[in-house]
Amino acid sequence: MLLAAHHVKKTYELGRVRVPVLHDASLTVREGEWVAIVGSSGSGKSTLLHLLGGLDRADKDSGPISFAGEDLRAFRARRENLYRNRDVGFVFQFYHLLPELTVLENAMLPALVGLSRLRWISERLALRTRAAELLETCGLSHRLNHRPAELSGGERQRVAIARALINKPRVLLADEPTGNLDIHTGGGILDLLAARHAEGLTMVMVTHDAAVAARAQRQVRIVDGRVE
Amino acid sequence: MYAPLLANRYLTSRIIPFIAVAAVALCVALVIIVVSVMSGFLEMVRSSGKSLTGDVVVSRPITGIPDYLELVTRIEALPEAAAASPLVETFGLLQMQYGNSDGGKQIEMVEVWGIDPASLDRVAQYRDKLYWCAPSASELSTLAEDDPRRDAFYQRDEAGMSLQTADGKDGVVLGIELSPFNHRERDGSYRTLNPGSRQHDAGYFMPNAGAVTLTLVPVTDGGSLGGEKKRRFSVVNEFQSGLYQIDANRILVPIGVAQEMLRLNEAPIVSREQVDAEGRPLVIGTSPARATTIVVRAEDGVDLLVLREAVRRVYAEFWRERAMDPKRLFETPEPDSVDISTWEERLADFIGPVEKERELMRTLFSIVYLVCAGLVLAIFWAIVQEKTRDIGILRAVGASRTGVLWIFLRYGVLIGIAGSLVGVLLAWIVVSRINDIHEMLGAPAPLWLKSAAGLAVIFSIGMTVRGVRRASALHVVLWSFATIGFLLVGVALLLHQGFLVWDPSVYYFSTIPSKLDLVTAATTMLGGVVFSVVGAAIPAARAADTDPVQSLRYE
Ligand SMILES: Nc1ncnc2c1ncn2[C@@H]1O[C@H](COP(=O)(O)OP(=O)(O)OP(=O)(O)O)[C@@H](O)[C@H]1O
Ligand SMILES: [Mg+2]
Repeated sequence: MLLAAHHVKKTYELGRVRVPVLHDASLTVREGEWVAIVGSSGSGKSTLLHLLGGLDRADKDSGPISFAGEDLRAFRARRENLYRNRDVGFVFQFYHLLPELTVLENAMLPALVGLSRLRWISERLALRTRAAELLETCGLSHRLNHRPAELSGGERQRVAIARALINKPRVLLADEPTGNLDIHTGGGILDLLAARHAEGLTMVMVTHDAAVAARAQRQVRIVDGRVE
Repeated sequence: MYAPLLANRYLTSRIIPFIAVAAVALCVALVIIVVSVMSGFLEMVRSSGKSLTGDVVVSRPITGIPDYLELVTRIEALPEAAAASPLVETFGLLQMQYGNSDGGKQIEMVEVWGIDPASLDRVAQYRDKLYWCAPSASELSTLAEDDPRRDAFYQRDEAGMSLQTADGKDGVVLGIELSPFNHRERDGSYRTLNPGSRQHDAGYFMPNAGAVTLTLVPVTDGGSLGGEKKRRFSVVNEFQSGLYQIDANRILVPIGVAQEMLRLNEAPIVSREQVDAEGRPLVIGTSPARATTIVVRAEDGVDLLVLREAVRRVYAEFWRERAMDPKRLFETPEPDSVDISTWEERLADFIGPVEKERELMRTLFSIVYLVCAGLVLAIFWAIVQEKTRDIGILRAVGASRTGVLWIFLRYGVLIGIAGSLVGVLLAWIVVSRINDIHEMLGAPAPLWLKSAAGLAVIFSIGMTVRGVRRASALHVVLWSFATIGFLLVGVALLLHQGFLVWDPSVYYFSTIPSKLDLVTAATTMLGGVVFSVVGAAIPAARAADTDPVQSLRYE
């Protein structure tokens, strides 16, 4: 069991109004598995993925989320940073690239975050090469020095995927990785991810596209704040 | 490793950092300029009160102190005192040689100072205050091309120092504003009031042919007025102390002349009862000459209160010796009746308001400073706030709070330092050129400036028309505002006939203080950096503390 959520609760508080999104959501992901999360819009798919990625906090009375046996809630600041940086790769529904950095730099960002100045000097070239190769497999070799603003939505999505993969995480959490792409390009991205999966990458993917979900090994559906 | 990369990117790939640098620079420059000029002005006002006076003043008005030369010698022997000089201070009537506008001769009530030029020079740089004299090498470079003092004819140093005319007669030195023939120019320099040839001019040049009649009234021992004394003197030079009130009211005469006219000079003492062989009252001694005032200059670094106490002790000793000598026939005033005080005490009425002004100014400056600090803070706040989403991304890929904070600290520090340096430079340029700038404001706008404004108006009208053709709202808005702006500037330039903010006859001084206040510059620079950093750090820390998902939702 690599990633597990047990009876997770998440409620958003908007002033006085409490919006319960997840209540009693449980999910287990085995090492090397490819799971697709489906559900209607607003059902809480992104919310669950954020919780799994350690980007948001579950309610106080929620059950635990664990990664390789470690409870995420027990993480100290250092371990939390390391978890986000190394253990998981996250692809956001809305890309979230840094506008001032080039495509190459954006893809390298998690690696840069993990490097001290000293190791940066010694590993700089190797890192650049790795990032460039990764972007090439995503079909972006001609865009390395462009800014995100100069890219199409699909191209940005691919930069975000390269960024998620740069530190060779054990789990990839992808929120609608093909949501903005046509069937052809989306298929290309899925092939890319499938290849990674074949190499042993664990993947949890949110999608509302049945065809995309069908490529996963297992599908779960979120209905009424529960995983079915 | 991402911190320097991002900080540099944020600095170089946008226009906002430049605006921030400019804003910090303007704030820093504003504070430094205002503080420098205002505190320079107050300092000038304060110290100008001291003009032609010593650090400590011994004074016994009207009847004076006998044997003053002995007292001067003893004071000069003090280790705390650098020099001392006797004066006779009184008031008199001055009748000018030329008529005033209503036909009669101009008569002024003046302060009369009987001085000993040599020792007064040691105490109060008397020579430097003389106006008509050979300029020093450094002065020469700042003197206007047509300044009369470039001409040897107008260089009257020696006459001023000796207070004598060429043929050895007693002369006087007038305050430069006293004579109606000196016209103060807008730039603060004086001109003898007559164009044309020097021969003609000479008649209006007081130190050349001018003469005045001085009337003094002696006061007898009993306190009643003696018969007035009237004497005619040649004017041998004029002085400029820098303080309008002094320059317009004071005349300097040789101390011997003042003593004689006030009957303070050496005189025989005669017996009331005894008579000599010829039946005249018997001379039984001499009364020594008297001075009403002794001005003392402190040795460098000596506290004035310490010097004052030393001088008081000297006087007490001086008095005790004379009081105990039964053979003395004249009285030496008791220490209680002699005023011995520092120049600041003497000018308390004058300095008090200045000090109050200084307090007031400090309060105002704190407000200016706070406003600037708030501005800098707000700018950084807005810049960093706009980067909230970026901070969310960085935290989501594992950046630490301190790492994120570090980016914005770097950002704030770099902008703060750059802005402060530019600000100090700007302030330095403005402050050191403030008199030139002032002069430029004082003159009508030059033709090239008006033409430039005209061309700018035509150009921006053209650009507006182009914007309309291309249907670009931004162009139309920007250029029509530019048109209005240039038009207003142009009209202002046309109407501007020059105005003087710093009128030398209103203010005491002919020039605006132009020294950068180093302490202010340093503290303001520091403040610029600190407020930039704080302004950047607070929103950055707040964003770093929130969960990434929350920050990412920030639009
Ligand atoms: N920060 C928030 N504050 C308040 N409500 C939120 C917040 N984030 C999400 N929600 C609400 O939680 C619910 C679930 O949102 P979520 O983004 O998880 O849906 P989703 O299943 O990913 O939908 P979609 O398919 O449209 O992406 C929505 O109703 C949304 O309005
Ligand atoms: Mg979603």
